[in-house]
Amino acid sequence: MIRFNQVNKTYPGGFVALNNVNFSLAAGEMAFLTGHSGAGKSTLLKLMSLMEKPTSGSVHINGVNLSSVSYSQVPFVRRGIGMIFQNHNLLMDRTVFDNVALPLVIEGFGHKETKKRVEAALEKVHLTSKIRCYPHMLSGGEQQRVGIARAIVNKPPILLADEPTGNLDPKLSLEIIKLFEEFNDLGVAVLIATHDLGLIARLKYRTLTLKQGAMINDGLVEGLQGGSDE
Amino acid sequence: MNKQRETTKNHSSRPHTNVAAKLLAYFIRHLQQGIGSLGDLWRTPFTSVMTILVLGISLTLPATLHVFVKNAQSISQQWESASEISLFLKLSTSEKAAENLVKRLSLYPEVASVKYISAKTAMEEFKTTSGFGQALDYLSTNPLPATVLVIPTKHSSQPQAAEELLQKLTNEREVEQGKLDLEWLTRLAAITTLIEDIVVGIALLLCASVVLIIGNTIRLAILNQRDAIAVMKLVGATDSFIQRPFLYAGAWYGVLGGMVAILCVTALVHYFSYSLVALTDLYQSNFSLIGLSGGEMLWLLLFAIVLGLSGSYISVRKHIRAIEPTAE
Ligand SMILES: Nc1ncnc2c1ncn2[C@@H]1O[C@H](COP(=O)(O)OP(=O)(O)O)[C@@H](O)[C@H]1O
Ligand SMILES: [Mg+2]
Repeated sequence: MIRFNQVNKTYPGGFVALNNVNFSLAAGEMAFLTGHSGAGKSTLLKLMSLMEKPTSGSVHINGVNLSSVSYSQVPFVRRGIGMIFQNHNLLMDRTVFDNVALPLVIEGFGHKETKKRVEAALEKVHLTSKIRCYPHMLSGGEQQRVGIARAIVNKPPILLADEPTGNLDPKLSLEIIKLFEEFNDLGVAVLIATHDLGLIARLKYRTLTLKQGAMINDGLVEGLQGGSDE
Repeated sequence: MNKQRETTKNHSSRPHTNVAAKLLAYFIRHLQQGIGSLGDLWRTPFTSVMTILVLGISLTLPATLHVFVKNAQSISQQWESASEISLFLKLSTSEKAAENLVKRLSLYPEVASVKYISAKTAMEEFKTTSGFGQALDYLSTNPLPATVLVIPTKHSSQPQAAEELLQKLTNEREVEQGKLDLEWLTRLAAITTLIEDIVVGIALLLCASVVLIIGNTIRLAILNQRDAIAVMKLVGATDSFIQRPFLYAGAWYGVLGGMVAILCVTALVHYFSYSLVALTDLYQSNFSLIGLSGGEMLWLLLFAIVLGLSGSYISVRKHIRAIEPTAE
């Protein structure tokens, strides 16, 4: 599903953001990606969503080697990944419905099918009542859930989240993570980047840890092993 | 590989739709988007109106010149076959000598017909048409010369041949002065050709500037939507999907600008017609200005749309690709 093979990423200017990263995530697996701020978590997710290109090494997503993807094929690779960000990236001048429907409109789905899927996605994130609202009428947590609904509405096999709980209090954060667990139960591979170790500690999931661009740990985080970090 | 995935997905979502229904849905979607982007123009009313006016006014100039050329050509065609030589006879010429002259002239191989207007007839005609009426009765002598109107044969009606004939006729003893109506026609023809060349030159320059202006307006629209475009790319929108509303906007600029041009040209033709009424009454001609025909209006509109589309296409190609989604 996701496979990194000796991936290096040096930003223009010479900063080494990723240093020989190897890992893979199987279909239907769920994992956390942790590390200090600046450790390279976002960079790693950007490589997967083709926002950045690796300096060397190869990244495979859904069986496709990303280095062989041409500019015109990029959108089709991205349709196989649901992406969620700390600042939800919603279109402020469109309703919740239109925001969630966007990936379907892009893929050319019919009106009926679109409506059905959007309603199903909003129901999963418990926002059915807000379907006609504009993003500014929602709380931070609700906006984040709209972003999640948009990420899963076209049923991608992979879900990537970059600090999805960054702005939320612990209770709301846990609710968001619960949502991800539900999608994972449906067979979606989920990778969540977060520096919120307290959150990870409460759940027993595979955890990938980055430190200055290098993958220093790949496994279950037991107890509060990395608690001193943040 | 991923394209395949997409198509199979689409198939499974609409398994039983036939081709006609798909085409219809495709058409409806485009129509919706087209109408939607008309609404986009309304979001920046000032810029949109300015762009539409620039396009409309830029097209008005060459279109008006075209109308001028068209009318000039129609005048030439009307008159070329009926060019007429007026010979004003010397005041001393007697009635008898004049009749003699008319006889001689009709024997010319270049002449189709000859019409004699005596000094008296000319005076009467002048009285009724000039409005001086009774006042002219106080003149002791008739100041108007007798006139012979010579219509050349078709062959001798061409500017060059008619000119030669005029030369020949003025050499006749009784003739004081000869005037060929073709003279100004030749000039008109020359001016028309010149204007045609100017039209092409101006049109090319204006079209180039119109394309650039529309391109710039679309560029601003794209930059305004920068964040939304980034989000769309993030969730897998192709460039052609993103650029579609901007291309529609360009086409709308063309439609509206073209309509402005048609209105302006029509208004100008009306305005010119009024001032021409005075002129043509003077010449007792039933000539009236021909405006743009329906077909020409359609061409103008189509041309405007092509300009609008080209401007937005150039802009879209350049600027949409440059926008990249960011995670922040
Ligand atoms: N576009 C960029 N150009 C140069 N350096 C960058 C760029 N993006 C990120 N970096 C640097 O790369 C490092 C890793 O950043 P990032 O992947 O965002 O870390 P994290 O998400 O773990 O906080 C940071 O030190 C950052 O300054
Ligand atoms: Mg980050």
